[in-house]
Amino acid sequence: MGPWDVERVLALAPDAASAKAGQSQANPAKWSEQGSSERAVWGLCQGSGKKPYQTIVDLSGPAYRCSCPSRKFPCKHALGLLLQWSTNLIAAGSEPPWVTEWVEERANRADRAAERAEKKPGEVVDPLAAQQRVARRMERVAGGMAELRGWLDDQVRQGLSGFEQRGSAELSRLAARMVDAQAPGVAGSVRRAAGVVGRGHGWPGELLEELSLIHLTVSAHARLAELPPSLADTVQSRIGWTVETARVLAEGEKVEDDWLVLGRVIEPDDHLTVRRVWLRGASTGRLALILNFAAGGRQLDPLPGRPGELVPGVLSFYPGVLPMRALLTQSAPRLPGPRPSGFTAKQALASYVESLAADPWNERWPLVLADVRPARNGDGWALVDETGGLELLPGVDPWKLLAVSAGDPITVAGEWNRAGFKPMTCWHTDRPVVLS
Amino acid sequence: MRGWDGLVSSALLGTERRPAHFDELPESIREQLGDGGLLDAAALATVYKRAGRKPLEGLEPLPQATGEDKPLPRRAAVRRLAAMLGGFQTAALGEWLRAADARGWGVPPEHLPALADYARGRSEYRPLVVKAAGRRASWLAELNPEWRFLHEAVADSNKVEIWTHGNAIQRRSWLRELRRRDPIAALEALREVWPAEVAPTRVEFLTLLGSELSLADEEFFEAALDDRSKEVRRAAAALLARLPGSQYGERMAARVRSHLMVSQGVLAVTLPSRVDAAMQRDGIDPQPQEGIGKRAWWFRQILAAAPLAASEPEYLQLTVEGCAPEVLQVAWAEAAVRERNVEWARALLQTKAATGNRIAELLRVLPDDEWVPALEVLRAQVDLAELVGGLPVPWPPALGQMVLDLLMKVGTGRKWARLASIAARAVPPEVLNHPITREPTGEEDTWRLRLVETLIFRREMYEELS
Repeated sequence: MGPWDVERVLALAPDAASAKAGQSQANPAKWSEQGSSERAVWGLCQGSGKKPYQTIVDLSGPAYRCSCPSRKFPCKHALGLLLQWSTNLIAAGSEPPWVTEWVEERANRADRAAERAEKKPGEVVDPLAAQQRVARRMERVAGGMAELRGWLDDQVRQGLSGFEQRGSAELSRLAARMVDAQAPGVAGSVRRAAGVVGRGHGWPGELLEELSLIHLTVSAHARLAELPPSLADTVQSRIGWTVETARVLAEGEKVEDDWLVLGRVIEPDDHLTVRRVWLRGASTGRLALILNFAAGGRQLDPLPGRPGELVPGVLSFYPGVLPMRALLTQSAPRLPGPRPSGFTAKQALASYVESLAADPWNERWPLVLADVRPARNGDGWALVDETGGLELLPGVDPWKLLAVSAGDPITVAGEWNRAGFKPMTCWHTDRPVVLS
Repeated sequence: MRGWDGLVSSALLGTERRPAHFDELPESIREQLGDGGLLDAAALATVYKRAGRKPLEGLEPLPQATGEDKPLPRRAAVRRLAAMLGGFQTAALGEWLRAADARGWGVPPEHLPALADYARGRSEYRPLVVKAAGRRASWLAELNPEWRFLHEAVADSNKVEIWTHGNAIQRRSWLRELRRRDPIAALEALREVWPAEVAPTRVEFLTLLGSELSLADEEFFEAALDDRSKEVRRAAAALLARLPGSQYGERMAARVRSHLMVSQGVLAVTLPSRVDAAMQRDGIDPQPQEGIGKRAWWFRQILAAAPLAASEPEYLQLTVEGCAPEVLQVAWAEAAVRERNVEWARALLQTKAATGNRIAELLRVLPDDEWVPALEVLRAQVDLAELVGGLPVPWPPALGQMVLDLLMKVGTGRKWARLASIAARAVPPEVLNHPITREPTGEEDTWRLRLVETLIFRREMYEELS
C-alpha cells in the first residue's frame, strides 16, 4: 500500500490546532528510528522530556498509539509521523519489536471481537424473538404503506395545486411518519419529493414524477409475494430493509476479478457521510458499487484502492434485480490499472436505459466515456462526441477536467443521473486523475 | 412526451375536478396501464421518459489547445506540489515551479486551476503559472475570465492583431516582447497608437519602454515631457534620467554644476532660489516632502536625477557648506541605484553615508561576491535582517552559508526569528544541506524548528525534481 495523500492525513486531525501542531512535528530532525511496513508507520520523537515518545500508527484502522501525555486523538506526533510518511519521507523497514507487539495485539483483539460477533446469533439471540421482531416490523411497514397509499390517492383526487404553500411541510411530516413505520428508504424518497416542490416552473411535473415512483413502490409492496425474488429484494431495499452483511457474505453472488476503481463520490453531511466507490471488473466487465457510511464526522473506511487502480479480489453482491451494491472480500494487493475502455455518449445512455428497464428506481449509474471532448452547454458544460453530448451535473466544478483535456478527446468515468453527469476520474493519457 | 402534460394538469387540479384522460398517452403505455389510475400512468410515463433520454445535439466541442506538453516529474514531486496547494509549506510553491521549469518538467494539468486561482491575487506568481500552463495558458484564459492573466502567454510579437485588437494584458505582453526583440519597432508601434490611448495606459506602455533604452527613444520621451497628464510627464522624466547621454542629463548636470562648487577641500552648495518652468518640465516637483526645506528639496531632486558623472565619489569625503550633507548623500544614493553605479554604491556604503532607505538597494548594486564582506561591516550599524531582506532570492551560496553559520551559533532569542524566516526561503539549493538541519532542536525553539523544517522541505523538493 502506498502512502496516503497529505489531505487525507490532515483530515484525521481532531481539530485545526492539532493539524497545525502535526505539521510542526513533520520534521525529520526531531525523529529517529522511523520506518514503515505494509501495516504500520512508527518512529521515536524527541519531545521536551529526556525519553523520546514512541509513536505507532496502525494503518488498518487507522489506530494510533503514542507514549506522549496528549489526550487528543490522534496526537500531533502521530499526525507528524503520517505527514512525513505521506510525503515519502519514511522509508520501508522491518518492524522493531515494540511495534510488532502492539500491532499484533490489536489484530488479535479484533479477531476475538469478530469471533464473538459471529458466535452471537447462535448463542445469545433467541431465534423466536428475532422472528417476532421481523414480523412486528413487517406489520408496521405494511401500515405505513397503507397510510402512504391513502395519502397519495387523496392528493391526486384533490389536486396538487397549493402544494407550493403547504406541500413541503406536509411531505416532511409524512417522511417522519415513514421513519416511524420503519420504512427509511421510502422516507428518503418522500424527502426528495419535498425538495422538488416550488423549484423552477416545471416543479409540478417533477413532483408528479417523484410521487408516481413512490406510488410504484407502494403498489409493488402490496404484490411482494407475486414478484420474482430478485425484484422483491429490490423493492424491499427501496422501502428500507437492509440485508445483513453476514448474509451477503454467505449467500451473495460471488464474482472474482481484477476490479478497476472507476472513481468515488463522497457526500458529506452533518449526520451521515456517504461514500460511493464504483468498480468495474477487468475481465467480467461487471459493474459494482461499494457503499460506505460514516456517522457524525467519523472517518470512512480506507478506500479499497485509488481511482484508476486495480483491486484483485472477490465481490459479494447484495441481492436485487440490478445487483450493484457489493462487499469486497479477500482482496490482494492493488495494482496500477490501465486507462479503461469506454462508451460513446449514445452507448452510455443506452446502458443507463437498460439499467432502468431492470430497476425503474435506479438513480445513479456509472459510465465510462471514451474520447469525449468538453463543450459549453448554455451556462453549464457538457462532454460530447460524434454521437451527441451529456451535460455535466449543474454545480460540478469543471475546471480540473477542462484543464486536463485542453480540448483533446479524453476518457472520463463518472456517475450519471437524470440531472447530469458527475465526473469522478479522467485519464491524462494513461495517468488517472481524481476529479471528485 | 405525448399526454404527459395532461397527466400533470389532472394531478394539479385533482381528478375530482379534472378526471385523467389516458387517450393521448403513447399506445405502449396505454396497453400496459390496464385499469390503472393516474399515478400508475404517471409512473409508467416517468420511466418511459427517463429511459427515452437522448444525447444532446448540436453542441460544439471546445477548440483544442495547440502545442506540446512537457514531461511530468516523479510522483513524489507531484504529491509535494499537491500538498503545497493544500496549504502545506505553500510559500515554497514559486520555487517548485521555477525549479521544475528549469529542469524541463511540466505541471500536471489538474493542478492548473488551483495554481491559477492562487496566482490571481499574487502577481509575482503569474509569470510562473503562465509558464507552467504551457499550451493550456491562453486556452484556459479564454474559458475563465478570472484567469485572464494567463493570456500573457500569447505575446507572439509577430501577430500585430494582438496589438491592435487584443485585450489590455495581451497588448502589454506584446509590446514587452517586441521591445525585447526590436526596441525601435516597439517605439514606432507605440508612437502610432499614442494619441488615442487614455492616460493610465500611456503611463503603462511608456514604463514598458524602460527596457532596452537608447538615444533613439529620446525625442519621444522629450515630447512626452509636455504631455497633458502629470503621471505621463513624470514617467517620461524618470526614463530620461536613466538614458545615458541625453539632453535631459545635460540639463540636469548643468543645474548641478551651477549649484555645487569645490574649493580648498570644501563642497559649497548654493541651493536654488526658485523652480522655473524649465525645471518643472523636467520633472522637478516644487512641493517639498515633509521634513525637508523647500530649497533643499529642489536641489535633492536635481542631484538625484542628474548623471552621477556631474559629481565625484570623492565629494563624499568633503566638508559640506550651505546644505545638510545628508541631502546630498540621499540624492547620490538614489542616483547610484538608478545608474547601478558600483563605484558610487561602494563609496556610499563604506562612508556610512545617509542613504534614505536605499541601503539594501545599494548593496544589490555591488557584485554579489562583495555582499558578505560588505554585510560584515554594515551589520554593526543596521540589523542584518533589514539588510538581507532586500536582496534578491536565492542568495549566492556564500551569503547563505554565512547566515546559516551565524544562526547555528546563536541561542534561541526571539530577535533572530526574522532573519531565520528570511533565510529559510532565501538560501540557495547548494546550502540546503547545511549542518544546522542535522542539529537537534528543542520543542520550544520555534524559529529554529521552522527554519530547519523549511530547509529540509526545500532540500527534498530539489531532490525529487532532479
